[in-house]
Amino acid sequence: MEPVLLRARGVADSRSLAAYLAAGGYEGWKKALGMGPDAVTKEVLDSELRGRGGAGFPTGRKWSFVPKDHPGPRYLVCNADESEPGTFKDREIIEYDPHQVVEGVAIAAFAIKANTAYIYIRGEFVRWARILEDAIAEARQRGFLGKNVMGSGFDLDIWVHRGAGAYICGEETALLESIEGKRGFPRLKPPFPAVVGVFGQPTVINNVETLACVPHIIVRGAAWFAAIGRPKNTGPKLFCVSGHVNRPGVYELPLGVTFREIIEEHAGGIRGGRKLKAFFPGGSSAPVLTADEVDTGADFDACAAAGTMLGSGGVIVFDDTVDMVEVADNVAHFYAHESCGQCTPCREGSDWCMDILDRLVAGHGQAADPDTLLRICRFSSAGMTICPLGDAFALPISSIVNKYRAEFEHRIASATPLPQKKQPVLPWAGPRPGFGI
Amino acid sequence: MPKLTIDGHEVEVAAGTNLIEAARAAGVAIPYFCYHPYLTVVGQCRICMVEIAGQPRLALGCATPAADGMVVKVESSERAREAREAVMEFLLANHPLDCPVCDQAGECLLQDHSMREQAATFATHMLETRRTFPGYERRLIGPHVVQNQNRCIHCSRCIRFTREISGTAALTYKSRGNSTFIDTFDGSAFDDPMSACAADVCPVGALTVREVRFRKRAWKLRSTPSVCPGCSIGCNVFIDHHERVVYRFTPRENPAINATWLCDHGRFLAESLNEQAYLDPQHRSGGLAVRVGWGEALAGIAAEIRSAGALRVVASANLSNEELFLARELFGRHFKGEIAVPVAPGEPRKMRNGRGEWLHATDPHPNSTGARRLGLAVVDGEGLSRFLYGGAGLTLILDAGAHPFLASPEALQLLRVGTTIVWARREHPAAHAATWLLPTPSLAGNEGTFTSSTGAVQRFAEAFAAPGSVHRTATGAMSPTCPTIASPWGPPGEARPLWVVLTALARALGVAALDLASPADVFAAMVRKDKAFAGLTWETLGGRQPHESFRERQHVG
Repeated sequence: MEPVLLRARGVADSRSLAAYLAAGGYEGWKKALGMGPDAVTKEVLDSELRGRGGAGFPTGRKWSFVPKDHPGPRYLVCNADESEPGTFKDREIIEYDPHQVVEGVAIAAFAIKANTAYIYIRGEFVRWARILEDAIAEARQRGFLGKNVMGSGFDLDIWVHRGAGAYICGEETALLESIEGKRGFPRLKPPFPAVVGVFGQPTVINNVETLACVPHIIVRGAAWFAAIGRPKNTGPKLFCVSGHVNRPGVYELPLGVTFREIIEEHAGGIRGGRKLKAFFPGGSSAPVLTADEVDTGADFDACAAAGTMLGSGGVIVFDDTVDMVEVADNVAHFYAHESCGQCTPCREGSDWCMDILDRLVAGHGQAADPDTLLRICRFSSAGMTICPLGDAFALPISSIVNKYRAEFEHRIASATPLPQKKQPVLPWAGPRPGFGI
Repeated sequence: MPKLTIDGHEVEVAAGTNLIEAARAAGVAIPYFCYHPYLTVVGQCRICMVEIAGQPRLALGCATPAADGMVVKVESSERAREAREAVMEFLLANHPLDCPVCDQAGECLLQDHSMREQAATFATHMLETRRTFPGYERRLIGPHVVQNQNRCIHCSRCIRFTREISGTAALTYKSRGNSTFIDTFDGSAFDDPMSACAADVCPVGALTVREVRFRKRAWKLRSTPSVCPGCSIGCNVFIDHHERVVYRFTPRENPAINATWLCDHGRFLAESLNEQAYLDPQHRSGGLAVRVGWGEALAGIAAEIRSAGALRVVASANLSNEELFLARELFGRHFKGEIAVPVAPGEPRKMRNGRGEWLHATDPHPNSTGARRLGLAVVDGEGLSRFLYGGAGLTLILDAGAHPFLASPEALQLLRVGTTIVWARREHPAAHAATWLLPTPSLAGNEGTFTSSTGAVQRFAEAFAAPGSVHRTATGAMSPTCPTIASPWGPPGEARPLWVVLTALARALGVAALDLASPADVFAAMVRKDKAFAGLTWETLGGRQPHESFRERQHVG
């Protein structure tokens, strides 16, 4: 397909406003201002655009949840806290086409009548935060942002807010807390952000890629967008292919292509002529798929039917040299480190999983370990936690245990007993910690 | 008013009530650790999981409002029971399980829940090394609060307390995930005027109160409903005592006054209740004080009053309404004496009630409002001085601690001029100027009502009769270094509450109308006589009314 979101990749000086305007930039913003907020929302609703951040919630419906009669301010937040392992699509968009994001933010803010928008970008993205700030300054200078945009009477300010390095702040309510200057703890829902969001006001949070689609929908129409992909899974999608492939990278493909096509055709197949063993279809928090499931369609509904999720589109590919126990251990390490520590199952469960998997990898597995892992995962997911981070570690680990149990059994069969811990000799002669009273 | 069914019990609750409170009303206990009725709901501990018919996922008891027609399963749901058991396993996996040496044992929500609900055959596959916080096991984080981070279950009640109630935002989480721990925001001392409440709301032994820990096991303590004597706000407390020794105050729920809070000033008055310097009535003649019996003392005092030319009574804003009423009727009406109620200046105090409003007070006495309502003359230090200069004759000091002026050399000189009768509990200079010295017990040995600054008439109950002197060190009655820790109390003394003495005097003086048998009878007489108390009945004033021990222990213990 013709590139849409990545059309600027390869164009000289593509970040500049001039290049963006030459490619037909800000036409959608001008058109949207003429259409009015409700018509814009209607157009996005008709396009069947679904959120690209991971959950795949219809974007137009999310916008329509903002109370119509709310007297105070509303906010639009663009989630650029791209922290999911194996995901690097938003960075690509910002790198080559930051104005596309700015225009998308502007149109979305107009649709929900928000005069202030935040772009929350992960702290490590220093370069891309600067790119966005430069783009916003350029757009403001041209009158695309600021007071009374292009004589429409609509005011809009966009602020770039840098995170401080926590994965959890990509979760929408933790992100709102972080913007408010608080610790990144996800909030209990309901109330949902569309009703009580940042600073207690209605707030819509959309992913960078979602918002980048919006100008194209406005310019070319909902029907054009809906024609790409499959019914209810429309539009182009960026797939971030990483791992044991010949050509890792970001590929823009219509939703609904198979993972086989992504891995074999676009990413050039498995490195060194080896065989595919498994892959994460949408970042490390999606349940793993085996080589037999490679013909699954890469869209929201097909993935859900296969018991996994499209997530952020971060396809992490493993060849047959990979030990899946170590994959699980790697995943557990990440989530144990990133658990916010707020609610019990995730705080205790993620760490416990990590300890068990560390022990397994160290060669001291026990017969009960796979079942213990499954039990921990079962009670850390499906509504047991405030935010989806519980599911994010529980689902991939339990899927690995279920699908590659033989590898666990094999390790356990050759395991050595856990070495006895050294007991301190009493009375304790070492330094006394703390003040002691 | 939504009507719902919880484990087969139908119950109707106010709109907006959450399932925990609705279940309580239905007689079903939903366990919880992080929920507190006066703090925001955060849903962190996940132990209050219940099943709601028609919903695929389990719901949180704390965050789900009751809805009409809802069918909730708590004990009867296998799914919810399993989930709660899993949450317990998560919480206990890293808990030190040091209950035998933990001072919270006996009033620990985690322990209670484990005892009540966990199967005896419960087993875990936890083989990993338990999480510890070296250096944070015994840390004095402020003047009153000791932290043991190893026991913390991360419920955030203490953090929310400092943010939402005391307003200092002193406590916070530090670090992340499994290594999250509680600390003061910038590492400075946890110096909060209500700091011990953070230990109160702590469901486990992670925060304990320095002054109380390891003095008495929680299950040995008996709780008597009472009112804090620290200022005129009148916070409701329990006096926790054992074998005639007061160990602590704990807040008693009252949404209109102190919700479930108590300031450190009031809380740590508890220990002073053990001071009992005078055990027997004394008669001083010729400079020599002689211990006498109550019979002799009452007869002697009655004779003094009958023969007195001029009678002046220094009452006190620390006395109960009943005692002030008896003094007014007996000394003011029948013997035409003058009565003054001195009120001392005090430190500013504040307390947040259940609606989140601050109540303020600068009056250090629990009952000056009562004295005003009874029409007694309230005077300041200068007024008291003028009152004592008013002339010789017989002076009655109903409470030596009524005003600091009474301990001044000037006052003592004035008291030595005539005949003086002093009621006292703590060591006081006026006792040396007294012809008759009569011992009174502390608040714990008395019964009556106080009128708070907001006008609430509140009962306090008698914790124990016949207080004895408590063996003490310089730091207090129950100091761990106390040499007589095995028996901190001495033989019971002869201290009698003032109302007992006044009614007995009334009998001795032939005033039959005031010869009443109990504070309840005095109160009834007061209700008949005084418009300010009209319509009140003793039984409805709180105090000994039956209370749900479960609820109170959950919030304040």
